[in-house]
Amino acid sequence: MSGNTSLDHLLDVMAGRREDTVPWLGALREEARTLFANSGLPTRRVESWKYSDLSRALARAPEGLSPARPAPVLPGTHLALFENGVLNESKSALAEIGAVPLRQVLADPSTPFASKIGYVNPQKDHALLNLNTALMEDGLVLHVPAHTTLTAPLYIRYDWEGEEARAPEGRHLRIFILLDEGAEATLVEAHSGTPGFSTIVSEVRLATGARLKHIRFDRLGAAARQSAITLGELDAAASYKAFYLSEGGLFSRHEALLNLAEKDAQAELDGIYLVADGRHCDNTTVITHAGPDTASRQAFRGVLAGDSRGVYQGCVRVRPDAQGTDARQMSRTVLLSRQAEIAIKPELEILADNVKCSHGATSGELDTAALFFLRARGIPEAEARALLIEAFLGEVLEAIESEPLRACAAAAVADWLAIHAGEIAHVE
Amino acid sequence: MLEINDLHASIQGKEILKGLSLKVGAGEVHAIMGPNGAGKSTTSYALAGRDGYDVTSGQVTFKGEDLLALKPEERAAKGIFLAFQYPLEIPGVSNLTFLKTAVNAQARLRGEPVLDAVQFLRVVRETAKMLNVSEDMLKRPLNVGFSGGEKKRNEVLQMALLKPSLAILDETDSGLDIDALKLVAEGVNKLRAPDRSFLVITHYQRLLDYIVPDYVHILADGKIVRSGDKSLALRLEEQGYDALIGKAA
Repeated sequence: MSGNTSLDHLLDVMAGRREDTVPWLGALREEARTLFANSGLPTRRVESWKYSDLSRALARAPEGLSPARPAPVLPGTHLALFENGVLNESKSALAEIGAVPLRQVLADPSTPFASKIGYVNPQKDHALLNLNTALMEDGLVLHVPAHTTLTAPLYIRYDWEGEEARAPEGRHLRIFILLDEGAEATLVEAHSGTPGFSTIVSEVRLATGARLKHIRFDRLGAAARQSAITLGELDAAASYKAFYLSEGGLFSRHEALLNLAEKDAQAELDGIYLVADGRHCDNTTVITHAGPDTASRQAFRGVLAGDSRGVYQGCVRVRPDAQGTDARQMSRTVLLSRQAEIAIKPELEILADNVKCSHGATSGELDTAALFFLRARGIPEAEARALLIEAFLGEVLEAIESEPLRACAAAAVADWLAIHAGEIAHVE
Repeated sequence: MLEINDLHASIQGKEILKGLSLKVGAGEVHAIMGPNGAGKSTTSYALAGRDGYDVTSGQVTFKGEDLLALKPEERAAKGIFLAFQYPLEIPGVSNLTFLKTAVNAQARLRGEPVLDAVQFLRVVRETAKMLNVSEDMLKRPLNVGFSGGEKKRNEVLQMALLKPSLAILDETDSGLDIDALKLVAEGVNKLRAPDRSFLVITHYQRLLDYIVPDYVHILADGKIVRSGDKSLALRLEEQGYDALIGKAA
């Protein structure tokens, strides 16, 4: 079956690639392959995959391909363009910022990244991470030296289009970002088109006082199947500040798995997910507070239309030594249709005494009284609904500091609302 | 202007309006007074077209047109304005954005040119000044953190900008102290015009000291039981609803 992915086929491909690797990579791949062969693809019996059925999505023949929406044009950024999972070097501007194609690093027996790639907040029991490690080919490595600020954002564009985007073994990319002490950078990602099956793992290693801003625009096609994982490890006083926008796909999941390893490390995650039709969109976070006085804040807002399904799983783990932890988590969802579904699972695992942890979740319909108020002032229903949804999302959008990136996110929201805000008439 | 004929309306199957009839001519100010549960708010919501207020029989024509066939936004664009008893707070939408969206949405529905940002700002500032609405109130999220008086003044500001031909004031006096009430009434009086009618719905006579009606109607158990001039309101104040409704029945 063209376009479908099976475990056997994946294992065959892994076996075929065993021979031609340098020693350090061979060892890494072999371990990952063994672990993956034992676990297989995640099923709903695995707790963290209970609400997102990857096996089912992979068994389904992807239906009609929607045309790819053009990725945003972001002037003044350093572009890295991946076309169907392959780096297009001639259209990318890597040299100026010292970024190196992953292929080059993977082929180098004595690369300094040998002991680093695969070691950021490692998760040996994560089947897709193992799959990615065993099969990763393309990607990017960026090293920002100490006390250096990347002059302009690194903009990684993932475009997927046509049959090449649908290899049965999928496309598996690895991004590795290392910020040395006091370094600063902004990473922007845009995902568009329809990957048949892709995994993208981004490893983010932040040394003492390093600061990374990370913006994801995930605007895949309706038939897209993608699972992305951001792994982060933060040393003392390092900061990771993210904004994730996602519109789902046949299967779309992003996991942020962060380890606040040392004192005063902090993570802020803001997310907006806008999911329509029969799409599936999963935002999963696991934040480990390992160092004392570490802080995390999460604010996710979802809008679900049609018979879509959204998932937000937010897990906060506080280790025994992480006294003074401050962890806050809030998830709010608006359901525009009675057929749409949201699964929200906050999880706190606290092993220290002196901590502040909070979580909250709401979901509901648009406020009918507010809607009537706006309509009674002459604002047509679809516009009134869009206004209320924009207001609901506004706080999260406003937290994006960069004006052009904020405008880009707001435009994506406006695009989505123009199609979906008015599509469900108010039902009494 | 407005003609209501034998209007019956229900909420969740319970009949609230039981044959309401009323005619309001151009430029007239009518007051509808009634005890709690008489159907005052239902009247205003049924006229503005709120979902859940089901008109089961009767007709309402506005400028000769069947009002009940129109959506709330279409009624607004035709010139109906409902000043809410409890104006909604909408965090995340600035008052200015809301006002501009409303003014331009109505203009579009009527096929009129929309105002650009500069034109709109000039108009809104002039109008706000006339109605004692501060610059700060314009910039804040819609009604969020506004006092009761500020919310009602903001309703009057919306009325002034939207220039309706029929303004329905739904218990505008509720929650206002006397100074706030005077200020709001002053605003309303500035907007009185030969081509603009008012339907002032209230429980208490007090508001009518400041917004003086041409006609007063008493609403009880879903219909108008007595009509008269402003002296009816004064008698009501003296004698109470029981006495006057009792006499009519």
